[in-house]
Amino acid sequence: MKLHRIAAWSVATLALLLVFAAYLRPELAFTLANQLWNCF
Amino acid sequence: MTPTAAAAPAPLSMKQVLLCGAMIVTLSMGIRHGFGLWLQPITMDRGWTRETFAFALAIQNLSWGIAGPFAGMLADRYGAFRVLIIGSLFYAGGLVLMALATSGLAFTGSAGLVLGLAQSGTTYAVVYGVIGRNVAPEKRSWAMGVAAAAGSFGQFLMVPLENWLIGSFGWQNALFLLGCLALAIVPLAIGLKEPAAAKTTGFQQSIGSALREALSYPSFLLLMAGYFVCGFQVVFIGVHMPSYLKDHGLTPNVATTALALIGLFNVVGTYAAGSLGERMPKKYILSTIYALRAVVIVVFISVPLTPMSVYVFASTMGVLWLSTVPPTNAVIAQIFGVQYMSMLGGFVFLSHQVGSFLGVWLGGRLYDATGSYDVVWWIAAALGVFAAIVNLPVRETAITRAAQRAA
Repeated sequence: MKLHRIAAWSVATLALLLVFAAYLRPELAFTLANQLWNCF
Repeated sequence: MTPTAAAAPAPLSMKQVLLCGAMIVTLSMGIRHGFGLWLQPITMDRGWTRETFAFALAIQNLSWGIAGPFAGMLADRYGAFRVLIIGSLFYAGGLVLMALATSGLAFTGSAGLVLGLAQSGTTYAVVYGVIGRNVAPEKRSWAMGVAAAAGSFGQFLMVPLENWLIGSFGWQNALFLLGCLALAIVPLAIGLKEPAAAKTTGFQQSIGSALREALSYPSFLLLMAGYFVCGFQVVFIGVHMPSYLKDHGLTPNVATTALALIGLFNVVGTYAAGSLGERMPKKYILSTIYALRAVVIVVFISVPLTPMSVYVFASTMGVLWLSTVPPTNAVIAQIFGVQYMSMLGGFVFLSHQVGSFLGVWLGGRLYDATGSYDVVWWIAAALGVFAAIVNLPVRETAITRAAQRAA
């Protein structure tokens, strides 16, 4: 049971970090920055 | 059939409810969150102004809020899974029509009205009704935290995913693909189909009576007031912060990283708030969240603005972002029971959407009037103090009804 818990938390943390890393990729950062700035 | 089963059909298993509910909310909250990425390609391709696009999204938010109580009513009366299926079909249809719309009116009807209706039938209020009825009261807050964290994760995940879809397949095909993804809610909704008697056991009340009872109960109105503040702060910051950073000479990368940090910590905060609700009175959690928001805002606008101060603000605000969702809904279930939970959740969410509208509008209006966001930041902080105070007198104990007393 404890092992399941640790595995679940590890997968969740990994998923969060992977998505966070996706935001830091230059092409997404560029698109987002463009969209944000163009709105104002 | 065993005698026990005949008397009261077993509710759905918690694992099934959580898995299906969390995946539904991940999709429904996530798909809409990346709509801003379509602004440029659609307006350029169709030759529309940004106002056409923005107007449709404003209508979407309003129709989501206004339709929420009605979607909740239908879910409580006829079953959440039916509303979820119809909502999913609306979601898919709305996305396809959004891709095909060639006039501003058609775009407002599809991206605005239809998708707003779709969201009212597929998001928190409807799913929380099923969670409320099928998860033991002592686990309810935690379960709502899991579902809310899934919704937050959906928002966080779908922005890069939708950006990739647009880049790889073009904006129109990306919308068609998202339409197919929205249809995945249909099989997941079947997993939330409740046995008929699960909704009819215990004290019975009419919709009108439940509504009158809630709207005349001070604690419900206080929760609505708090949620109004939540909507105001979150949407004001989400929409106007990039412009605020630009005005202060920070680079676009700072705003992008700040949004990513808000998304990341939002998942952590919503789950933590739900879990804490198992251990302590939820009104104190809500009061603390709003008080901390006020403190964080005041510190942010008082210290010199640097990339580091923005990242610290984004991270702490992220923790406090949607963390109000699980405790607010869990308190509603605790006070009024779960028979009309979706409808009452929809009403509280309507108040959230009114706050959201005012946060966006007042942010722009006061910026134009004063030339800075300072006044709105202070209003947001003051509202945080107000919400922290009004949540304290909320009575979390179950309401005692005259009919129940007589029985």
